[in-house]
Amino acid sequence: MNSELLIDEAETESAEHTAIRLPFGLLGFEKIKRYVLIPAPEAAPFSWLQMAGDPSLAFLVIAPEEVLPNYFPEISQDDVNYLDLSNPDDAAILNIVTLHPGGQATVNLKGPIVYNRNTLVGKQVVLVNAADYALKYSLPLAT
Amino acid sequence: MLILSRKTNESIVIDGRIVVKIVRVEGEVVKIGIEAPSDVPVHRQEVYDEIQRANKEALTRTGQPLPKLRQNQNPAEALQPN
Repeated sequence: MNSELLIDEAETESAEHTAIRLPFGLLGFEKIKRYVLIPAPEAAPFSWLQMAGDPSLAFLVIAPEEVLPNYFPEISQDDVNYLDLSNPDDAAILNIVTLHPGGQATVNLKGPIVYNRNTLVGKQVVLVNAADYALKYSLPLAT
Repeated sequence: MLILSRKTNESIVIDGRIVVKIVRVEGEVVKIGIEAPSDVPVHRQEVYDEIQRANKEALTRTGQPLPKLRQNQNPAEALQPN
């Protein structure tokens, strides 16, 4: 590997990789608190949320505003305080996607990951209006 | 499991910082108020369980082929549970 390539890779990493800390982990993965968010190459709007300790393990996530125009997640005041979200633009939302055998993909709209764009601290929250949304909403796929 | 009897408006204190209060009892439904510091996550058990299951099902490996999303969705498409 030549040194020029190494430099390129390092620059790409700092530009596109976002280290996110989830002090509570994800539900069922409470002990894993450090993740790296990486846009999926050639598969926008998907991104990978990789476990920092084991980059081969990851969650596929999407930013809902790109694909779900009528999704209005309501975050509890406790979560707003915890994440220190002083205005709505501070909040970045990621919904976890499940790939099913047969090519179907569903997205969890009840329990998104919300993180503060400034502090990069996040939490998987249960939305106040979780009852309005599906746990496994089928993403409309191109046929 | 510790089992206590409480009347409406009576409370239980856990660890000196979490207060669980019986707000109202209507037939089979008990309304409970919970005061806890913001570092203590509180969830309904069933919501917690289903999100936990969904997370476990979603965990995958990077580098696999990803589906392509359909463009120009109908914004009125319902996002409600089926």
